[in-house]
Amino acid sequence: MIEDTIYRTSSQYRVWSYTEESLQSLRASTNTIASDRVRVTLRRTRDAPQSATGTPQPGSDVDSKEEKPIDCLTPEEELVFVRYYCESLLELGDEYKPPLPTTLRATAIQYLRRFYLTNSPMTYHPKKIMACALFLATKTDNYYMSLQKFSEAIPGSPSAEEVIAPEFLLMQGLRFTFDIRHPFRGLEGGIMELSAIAEGQGQPTPILPHQTAQSLKQALLSIAPPPTPSSSITDRIGRAHNGTRELLKTAAQMTDAYFLYTPSQIWLSAFLLSDRPLCEFYLETKLGGPIIPSTNSDSDPSTPLDPLVELRTKLSKVLSDCSALLQGYTPLSSDPAQIKNLKRIAKKHYKCQNPEGLNMAQKRDSAQPPTSASATDSGPATSESETERLAKKRKLEEQKRGAQDLFGGELVPDRTKGQ
Amino acid sequence: MASKQAVDRRDEDEVCPVCKSSRYLNPNMRFLINPECYHKMCESCVDRIFSSGPSNCPVAGCRKTLRKNRFRAQTFEDIGVEREVDIRRRVMHILNRREEEFDTKRNYDDFLEQREEMIANLVSRIDVAKTEAQLKQYALENEQSIRANQALEEQEATSFQARMTLEQEEAQRRRQIARQEYENERRELQAGREDFLTRLAAGTSADAGTIAREGSKVHLKKSSARRSEEERIRQKQAALRGSETKRGGASTPAAAGPADSGLIKGLRKIKTPEPEKPYDPFMGFVPEKRDYFTLQESYPSSFLERQRQNQMASAGGYDLREYYSRTLLEAFAGLGVFVGDEVSKRDAEKVSPPAATEGAAMVAGNEK
Repeated sequence: MIEDTIYRTSSQYRVWSYTEESLQSLRASTNTIASDRVRVTLRRTRDAPQSATGTPQPGSDVDSKEEKPIDCLTPEEELVFVRYYCESLLELGDEYKPPLPTTLRATAIQYLRRFYLTNSPMTYHPKKIMACALFLATKTDNYYMSLQKFSEAIPGSPSAEEVIAPEFLLMQGLRFTFDIRHPFRGLEGGIMELSAIAEGQGQPTPILPHQTAQSLKQALLSIAPPPTPSSSITDRIGRAHNGTRELLKTAAQMTDAYFLYTPSQIWLSAFLLSDRPLCEFYLETKLGGPIIPSTNSDSDPSTPLDPLVELRTKLSKVLSDCSALLQGYTPLSSDPAQIKNLKRIAKKHYKCQNPEGLNMAQKRDSAQPPTSASATDSGPATSESETERLAKKRKLEEQKRGAQDLFGGELVPDRTKGQ
Repeated sequence: MASKQAVDRRDEDEVCPVCKSSRYLNPNMRFLINPECYHKMCESCVDRIFSSGPSNCPVAGCRKTLRKNRFRAQTFEDIGVEREVDIRRRVMHILNRREEEFDTKRNYDDFLEQREEMIANLVSRIDVAKTEAQLKQYALENEQSIRANQALEEQEATSFQARMTLEQEEAQRRRQIARQEYENERRELQAGREDFLTRLAAGTSADAGTIAREGSKVHLKKSSARRSEEERIRQKQAALRGSETKRGGASTPAAAGPADSGLIKGLRKIKTPEPEKPYDPFMGFVPEKRDYFTLQESYPSSFLERQRQNQMASAGGYDLREYYSRTLLEAFAGLGVFVGDEVSKRDAEKVSPPAATEGAAMVAGNEK
């Protein structure tokens, strides 16, 4: 299918698509590296506050002494913490006049989620990154807004410099891939086609040329009634449209759907949730008749399946998985237990923040924040570990250079420190 | 010509086997033969019998049907030789493979032997039917290569002819130059002698010795200069000739044609270059083709209808169809992409990070 080939060229597929396991292991490794660093840094600042300038030295001796007092966030807690900020990002969009477009907010949320795949909220506080992500989204989504005006609307009204400070860091965390494929426009396309069918103007799908406008309309009118009764088919489509849109705005953004599924699958599963018969009808018009799940899976090894049927089988599984994921979402604010949990995490987070990370984020003018230097395009899991490796390497190189150089080292040995 | 006249003269008492008229009575009588049966008869008999169309050979016992246009003058006195030459010509015409078409010299030699065998068979009437069938089959199968080789042969013959005429002209010119030179030399010698004599006559007896010595010296000088000049010209011509022959040799193109014949073994495989396909800038990709949907000219939507009617937008180049195609493309882009399967496969393939990653990391490290 040509559309799939086109999607495979996108950076969302090439760089930001994961399996559930790889996503989990990535988060876990990011978390361990970040918490190690936090422990080392916190201990050092406590033990010797005057020598807090050097890069952290991951030695084995420091771990043994005071492991207990520093309690770091777990990957799950980090995820909840980031999600809270994603939700507040959604609300932040309403502060503006006019409110920011939905796709723009969604873009910002995805930036934030992508950034915290390889970076930990313990290193960089999401509150600082959040505003910057939203501002970056206004730029990448062609919604021009001056930085001054932008920062005024943010609660707590931070200065323009504060908003823009972590921008480069954020871009590195995004690996400079700003393109986010949203399911919103796809939904519009599907609704457009459905209403065309409803008005008897439907066109047959290229792979199913026997369809006619009339047969499509007949089939559409004869599908099972929706869960909530509606007056006409147009009304029904409109209602499904709205329901899907709401789901895409919230559930799709706050879950890992963007990492695990393609935008087309996301909107179809949201559509499935809001009006199952309508969605199934639509899929049938695209991929042929209904499938019988049990017999097909049984006859799999004996007879080679028609590729269309195979696609259909696979797709129905993916869609049900995705819709289960979307359905499992409940907003944090609506659930008191979750709010309580969040408060606990926030408190914990306050204690285990990496003071160095915050400083780095603010030092935007320095050539490159050390933590993000490697995040440009190294493997997704290496963002934090790479930093340490590079720091060590740099130090070694400097020593070597100093020893080899006939006239001694450079006069200004550390450019970044001097500034 | 001369040999023919000799033949004519010798066989003065020759008699036409058909009409029994002898050359004695008819000195202009010419004998003709037909390659069908090689029976000799005189020209008037041929005219008489075959003018009104094909007819049987008048020689007793021979029932071959002959045509007038096939009659020709005899080249060789011996009919057997005549016949062999004819057969040879015909077979060579068909089996006209060339040496460069074979893999090895050995194969070419085998081919030559095979051809000779076939000719011998036909001449001595052994397995005629079988050999003829083989020849026919081969001619059918290799029509193209036969024709190509014939064309080549013709070309070679004409180029050889041209070279020969060129060489003749060259020789003629050389001879003329030599003659002219000789003439000049003679004239000069004469003039010098005359001059010498007049000076001798005019001068005193004391000068005679010196004048005589001078004269001979001048003559020597001139002849040596001429000789070196001649040498130079000759060398130049030789060089020219050499380059010409070289060019002639290079101009014979390699034979081409299908090399599939059961008859001849060891033919070199000729690779015919594949015909170039028409250029496809998109490499099989059809820009407007979509698999999941058919794009319509317009879709019912009150929200978009306003935009569609907006003349200001369309004047600015905004086309709602662009929106349609984009939304529908995005509706299905990646529908059949199963991230879970594909990404795990991709990750398995990509074990080591690409070189660019290392490079970027190094650059990032150096900058600090």
